[in-house]
Amino acid sequence: MYLPDGYTTLTKRAPKDDREVYDLFFGPNHPGMHGNFGYVLEMEGTQIVRVRPNAGMLHRGFEKSMENKRWVQNLSLIPRVCVPDPDPNEVAYCQAVEAIMGIEAPRRARYIRSVVLELSRLGSFLMGMGGVGGALGHYSIMYLMMESRDRILDLFEELTGGRVYHIYNIPGGVRRDIPPGWKQKVLDLVDHLEKRLPEYDRLLYENPVVHTRLQGLAPLSAEEAITSGIVGPNLRASGVKADVRVDAPYAAYDEIEVNIECSGGGDALARAVQVRMDYLEAIRIIRRLLAKIPDGDFKLDLGNLMKLKVPAGDAYSKVESSKGEFGYYVVSNGGMKPYRVSVRGPSLPAGLYLCHKHLPGMKIDDVAVWMATLAICPPDIDR
Amino acid sequence: MKNFNEFIQKFNSFYQNKAGLTRKYKQQYQIVTGRDELLGILNWCKQNSFYHLANITCVDWIEDEEFELVYNLWSYEFKVGCLFKIRIPRAKPWAPTAFELWGQAQVYEQEIHEFFGVYFPGNPDLSSLFLHNWHDLPPLRKDFDPLEYSRQAYTVEGLGVKPEYEPEVEPEDNSEGRKS
Repeated sequence: MYLPDGYTTLTKRAPKDDREVYDLFFGPNHPGMHGNFGYVLEMEGTQIVRVRPNAGMLHRGFEKSMENKRWVQNLSLIPRVCVPDPDPNEVAYCQAVEAIMGIEAPRRARYIRSVVLELSRLGSFLMGMGGVGGALGHYSIMYLMMESRDRILDLFEELTGGRVYHIYNIPGGVRRDIPPGWKQKVLDLVDHLEKRLPEYDRLLYENPVVHTRLQGLAPLSAEEAITSGIVGPNLRASGVKADVRVDAPYAAYDEIEVNIECSGGGDALARAVQVRMDYLEAIRIIRRLLAKIPDGDFKLDLGNLMKLKVPAGDAYSKVESSKGEFGYYVVSNGGMKPYRVSVRGPSLPAGLYLCHKHLPGMKIDDVAVWMATLAICPPDIDR
Repeated sequence: MKNFNEFIQKFNSFYQNKAGLTRKYKQQYQIVTGRDELLGILNWCKQNSFYHLANITCVDWIEDEEFELVYNLWSYEFKVGCLFKIRIPRAKPWAPTAFELWGQAQVYEQEIHEFFGVYFPGNPDLSSLFLHNWHDLPPLRKDFDPLEYSRQAYTVEGLGVKPEYEPEVEPEDNSEGRKS
């Protein structure tokens, strides 16, 4: 194929003609993209001019499917809404069902739920920190994090039978009690994870390359973060002290001390540092929970759950996931199936709305880093 | 405003005849109002510390021939959530856009438009976000049947396409029974 000097097949533009814009598909087949999602970037050279989110490739119609399944059958479906951090989905859904029914899970079940949620958070944070490393080309960070995450998955497997999707929470409690010796294994694991933090720091947080790339990238003021619907660690990184575990306690968090700290700053570096702070706090919370875990029932006797009927009503239940507020709005018309289930994923405001503000003007190299630090997880956009 | 009790008092004095504020459970309240008051009250709530719009969702009450739009607000100051509900007729569904108040409302409204067919005049982009080349009913409506749609869209009978190759299957001769 003949091309004049200065033209390439990709840019289709001459070197001096700087007004021509070309489309670049960032995802779904891109190593920096998390899941089957994409941005169509209108590029001018290596700089982004406009962005069009290309969603829908992962859409499985979960909300519609849930209307056709019984209350408890949906529990096998909803963990798939967020792959790295599936348990907040289960707990938020079960809590919404319990709120409509006017019941509350036993105290022991609420403690077990909290431990499971914190372990899930640790696993997701490890994946998130590894994702930042991967997006910057430091793949060894990702490998180390995956090794640590696998140890968490081992414990999940022992507790629930599943590694990635646990399907462990049910309306009225949890499916089974913690097995003998599991508690000690969790304590050993969190000790191990804490001991590894200095290594992560050397590789990631004290790495001058990471600082250079992340500092000043995509700053987000506190006001903009709040009014854009940004939640969780990203909101705290902008200096807003907000956490669902503290503001609207659920499970056992009303009996446990949760210290939330803000890294402040609001840029990508602040968001990455915030994850490390929350990671350490999650380790401490697990220790506090396991020290106080009470004896008693781990679930309510609601009869055959396949025949569960939920009285007419609606409830919105939310949980602090590793990415922030994960919420389920559940409507019942008194039948054996939900009338409507609507998922509030934490990634949607950043992934579909904030991208229009942040990405224009950014270099192509920073898109994957921006996604990693904002923890954009396409499965909760396409659900 | 100092606390949520003061908010309730002011709300009731301003909107007593136009909207009802009730407590659902724990820190969750709900406001039920009409389409005409929607933006005014949302704006007033936003001015009075309900800064966070968690999401907007829709429920299809097909027997009542109505859609219910639910705006999910949260106040970081009062630590209180509020479900803001309006009902609109199902025949010609539209509601004013909340895009001017919260930027991310644009995406939620775009999604509701796509999955329920509700129009939001003033929303800058109601193009399809998830469903590309969709020509059927909006799929989250109650009268949309996913099974029937799949039969029509994905089976040979539904598409009316004759397969290029049809294997000739001869019935097995079992008259002699199984050979030893």
